[in-house]
Amino acid sequence: MAIAKAERLMNLALCLLGTRRPLSKRELRESIEAYLEAGSDDSFNRMFERDKDDLRELGLVIETVENLDGEVGYLARRDSNRLPPITLDAEEAAALGLAAKVWQQARLAGAASGALQKLRAAGMPEDLDPYEPHGALEPRIPVHEASFEPLMLACRDRRPVVFEYRKATASRPETRSVEPWALECWRGHWYLAGWDRDRGAERVFRLSRITGKVRSRNGLFTADIPDVVTVRETVASWAGETADRSALIRLRTGSGYPLRAKAAAVRELGDGWDELEIPYGHGLDAWLVEFGPDVVVLEPAELRADVVDRLRAVAKG
Amino acid sequence: MAGKPVRPVNAIDQTRRMLSLVTYLKERPGARIEDVARAFGITEDELVSDLDVLPMCGTSFRGGDLLDIDTDGDRIWWHNPDDVAEPLRLAADEATALLVAARAVSTLPGLRESDRQALLRANAKVEAAAGEAAGASARLSVTFESEGGVFADVDRAISERRRLWIRYYSPARDELSEREIDPIRLVSVGHTYVEAWCRRSEARRTFRLDRVAEIKILDEPSAPPEIELRDLSEALVQPAAEDPEVVVEVGPGGRWVAEYYPHDSADELPDGGLRITLRTPDPTSLRRLALRLGRDGRIVSPSDLADSARRAAREALAAYDGPQGVVDAVHGVDERQEQGL
Repeated sequence: MAIAKAERLMNLALCLLGTRRPLSKRELRESIEAYLEAGSDDSFNRMFERDKDDLRELGLVIETVENLDGEVGYLARRDSNRLPPITLDAEEAAALGLAAKVWQQARLAGAASGALQKLRAAGMPEDLDPYEPHGALEPRIPVHEASFEPLMLACRDRRPVVFEYRKATASRPETRSVEPWALECWRGHWYLAGWDRDRGAERVFRLSRITGKVRSRNGLFTADIPDVVTVRETVASWAGETADRSALIRLRTGSGYPLRAKAAAVRELGDGWDELEIPYGHGLDAWLVEFGPDVVVLEPAELRADVVDRLRAVAKG
Repeated sequence: MAGKPVRPVNAIDQTRRMLSLVTYLKERPGARIEDVARAFGITEDELVSDLDVLPMCGTSFRGGDLLDIDTDGDRIWWHNPDDVAEPLRLAADEATALLVAARAVSTLPGLRESDRQALLRANAKVEAAAGEAAGASARLSVTFESEGGVFADVDRAISERRRLWIRYYSPARDELSEREIDPIRLVSVGHTYVEAWCRRSEARRTFRLDRVAEIKILDEPSAPPEIELRDLSEALVQPAAEDPEVVVEVGPGGRWVAEYYPHDSADELPDGGLRITLRTPDPTSLRRLALRLGRDGRIVSPSDLADSARRAAREALAAYDGPQGVVDAVHGVDERQEQGL
């Protein structure tokens, strides 16, 4: 039976951590049963390279050292792999336990559990059980988009990417070439901010509109990365939340609670109608139309025209 | 069990866990399987499978210096502990996963202040210990939305086991209704919700906090029946198979509907639009959608839903129409607008 990968990785990690001098590939191959069984040199070499990468993903710092004979050796020095001293009290441990549970994405859920386990091994207290619900709150970070993981890695490693992107109102996707800066989750949706190479400008992309695979590109970023990446502000302006004007509407008494909640002023007219002053940003016309005959736009004229236009389209059916 | 971390079985995660496990076991000779599994957030079976692998691992299998770790089914013993077992530094992904989550949770407006302080302290310590590995965590961020005051009241009601009275807004009917609920838990998935037993409908209901217009903590004790908590990795609102079907056709400008509404199918149309089939317990709630879509889409079926949207639009237009219209009576008419009607 083939030796399980976890056993092979564990053996490689222990060998590299346990040695005081660099070990050559040959020595490692002779020390680890799975490598002896690997068959050809080629398949061993491929396996060894992959395993090194996997251990590096787990945080191991593996040095490559060439000795006088030109032979390459590997070691993971104790002092560069040791967790610095960290002392957490029981409350802090419980708080981290709650936080570590929020990921619903496999890679980050695994990484968060792994971080807790490392802290646990380093003496983090166990008095409060972090895996039991803490208080009444259960925050969850949803990740449904397949493009999340490759983009997260590309942001981490600062690698340019290419993907097919369908704009909100476009029927066909187009290819976008992007230097990814940061990912942000807002109101349950993920967005990517980055430098759009073809447009020569900063852009925000919604991950659910990325179709197909995210492909990595070689080379470095060409544009400067800003200190502060403002995803939320951009998305809020798409959503019409950055209102710079106000509108005057009539609203039937008792209806349209969300409009009332946003209103700067409400005046009862007494005939079954109220008059409201509400913020006017992008998308307000579409929202007002939802309330049907319970809303009448008074001002400005431009908003009235947009609402009437939409209503006529629906009335024609 | 609800609230358990998502934990895929894979070699990377298992290796990571086993590396921490040896460090942990070194300090605790004779540790109980039960306790270790709980400390690591894994099942006893998972721990036992790790204990099966560890004796095959060592620095050189030929030299025989394998880890001599064994268990009698209750306690775990490591007979030849060595100094390989030191706490390992955090990987970039580990630091990112923990720090981003801690920052996100600490921004929840309704979080208890003592919990927030503990989280911020822990976050600072982890960030310092992670060193360079913490750098990439700035490239990922999450903001939860929740209404602070409502959140605090719900949280208090849950911990004091008391019933709540709420005035709740239903967008489907555009109305506020009053109800008494026995809160069970708070859930943040993008928006923040309270899952509760609704005394009015005698059923489990999920309420979005930003739709709670008013809230009061009542003196009556909360007594929700024992119900099984749902797995939150699924969408919060799942249409049932017996719900009526609605078919919507949208043009390119209405494609967003497929992003916001859970649906059974979305088929491409030749004009770049979509034909979307979805199910909802209450099709009249989709009148809002039909009105919102305007020229970007229409309800294909059921026909009475399509009719009700048309009727609502005509009725709304009447207010803008003609010299006796309600608008004219109040503010006069903008000539240019009205000529087109």
